[in-house]
Amino acid sequence: MSQGHPENTAQQHPMALEATPPIYRADMTLTQVTRDIVAPLDRRPNGWWWFGFLISITLLAIGASAVVYQFREGLGILGLTYPEMWGTYIVDFVFWIGIGHAGTLISAILFLFRQRWRTAINRAAEAMTIFAVVCAGLFPLLHVGRTLLAYWLIPYPNFRQLWVNFRSPLIWDVFAVSTYATVSLLFWYLGMVPDLATVRDHKPGKWARRVYGFFAMNWRGTARDWHHYESAYGMLAAIATPLVLSVHSNVSMDFATSTAPGWHSTIFPPYFVAGAIFSGFAMVITLMVIVRKIYDLEDYLTVDHMEMMCKIMLVTSLIVAYAYATEMFNAWYTSDIYERNRFYGVHFGLTWTFFTGPYAYAAALMVICNVLTPQLLWIRRLRRSMPVMFVISLIANLGMWFERYTIIVSSQARQFLPSSFGYYRPTRFDYAVLAGSFGLFFTLFLLFVRFVPVIAVAEVKAVLRQPVGEPAAVMEESHA
Amino acid sequence: MPKAKQPAVMALFRTPQALLDAVRTVRERGYRGIDALTPYPVHGLPEALGLKVSWMPRITKTFFFVGAGLGFYFEYWAMAVTWPINVAGKPYFSIPAFMPVTFECGILTTGILTFLTLFAADRLRPKPSFKALDPRITNDRFALLIPTGFEGPAPATRLLEEMGALEVRELHV
Repeated sequence: MSQGHPENTAQQHPMALEATPPIYRADMTLTQVTRDIVAPLDRRPNGWWWFGFLISITLLAIGASAVVYQFREGLGILGLTYPEMWGTYIVDFVFWIGIGHAGTLISAILFLFRQRWRTAINRAAEAMTIFAVVCAGLFPLLHVGRTLLAYWLIPYPNFRQLWVNFRSPLIWDVFAVSTYATVSLLFWYLGMVPDLATVRDHKPGKWARRVYGFFAMNWRGTARDWHHYESAYGMLAAIATPLVLSVHSNVSMDFATSTAPGWHSTIFPPYFVAGAIFSGFAMVITLMVIVRKIYDLEDYLTVDHMEMMCKIMLVTSLIVAYAYATEMFNAWYTSDIYERNRFYGVHFGLTWTFFTGPYAYAAALMVICNVLTPQLLWIRRLRRSMPVMFVISLIANLGMWFERYTIIVSSQARQFLPSSFGYYRPTRFDYAVLAGSFGLFFTLFLLFVRFVPVIAVAEVKAVLRQPVGEPAAVMEESHA
Repeated sequence: MPKAKQPAVMALFRTPQALLDAVRTVRERGYRGIDALTPYPVHGLPEALGLKVSWMPRITKTFFFVGAGLGFYFEYWAMAVTWPINVAGKPYFSIPAFMPVTFECGILTTGILTFLTLFAADRLRPKPSFKALDPRITNDRFALLIPTGFEGPAPATRLLEEMGALEVRELHV
């Protein structure tokens, strides 16, 4: 729904039109867009879908069993011991919240920058955001141990007249994450209303029509409706943009406002946001490579789209690399013995050789996966190859998980006194719950591709036959 | 809609440009209360129909400041007025520490209220029994609705056919 000025017609930019190729194939028609995107909702899901769904459900069941066991036995089943009281649950929380960020970046920030190629990926990317935030939100609730009392995190009037401590970053997080979940959900649903109306009007079957009709909210597509709709959509994009930057900044402040060596660092907010976008785009690429294959959407999720996302991954990988370098440099440059002890102690080990410390494997994975591997994307042939980018995106998310592991777990391993030195050993329950969160994420995503138009139909139609990099133009007699 | 249904004619066009031309001509001929239905937002259409700039941004801004203000006031009241608790010697009324929640309250209020305002403005509501004027409007056709009133549908129909409408139909909306 790129807003543009009616004066910016194609005639005024003849050079630009020739210079940049159209986003979608030139012979595509509106009818065809509707058909291509609505048709998969009518078909029974194919074998690949069921294969993925069964694996996801199985993982989810494993994670759920581990969680039930934790409810019975307590947090002791995890690797948590003094001094490491924030374990993989917090790592998973930061990981999943980060994944979500790319969705909002695509749907809100690229919208504000009028990047019209986003139209094909924004629906799925936003869905990814919501499901990632769902996964993320579960972890703090499990981490608090007494999950039934998790509502204590919310300021509610209680008989002791106590309120939450608003000066604590942990409460900032509660507000940031719940706001993020709510606004993302509203934004996603709002973007979907006209498309649900399209499905409602084109799906056979009385009940399907009624269900889609319910969620399409009486959408008729009048000029007045669109007029307010576009404005509201733009405003939601405008508030989602600072919101997404604030969320991971707040998450980083959980660590940065503490005094623990390795955490107490002003670089954390931008560092976390860049990492979030990096891992989020990696996840979008993972999902899109699968979706375009399963649903034959190669004409919509084109190689150009995938290449754009690879470029963003490359840029954010460089930002992340810069942040790693700053961290390492500062650990030395502060001359603070605790900072140095934390960094050297964790990464260098007793023999003072690099990559022999107790957490050096995590740090090495982080650098290899997030800094070195993405450099392959400098090569055009590689960043246009689906298998290559698929593998790189998986590697990137592995690396991002270990980045959070390095930050969160290793900093607690070297606190101020030798009595507060430790080593975190995740148990099988740590891994089971992590696997369960992946199960939950993919289950939700597969249900999404089954029941909701994966691509924003109305948005794609609005930019059909337009070049990639120019201001929106009024569509001429183009799709006769 | 509770209002009694009005007689109207609806024309379907193939392209947004044809619709825009038709809207301009029909308005020049003096027809008022016309509306266009399109599968996606057509640029220049609000201007052609003479719609004012949407008031949505202004109201959104208001929501933000109200939400943020209330959030900030609540933090101040809870931390410094009703039961001040000394946590690590931090000041009770610590403006920098209140900022993140103030901001999030503003955003949350804005998000929810803008969403609800849009629903009210566009009269969106769950409607399982929805009957489209024409299912092609959410697919690939651009419709123009002209209320015909006392002069009857004939002149409007003729005009729309001259404008190259693919199909003109009488109906009540």
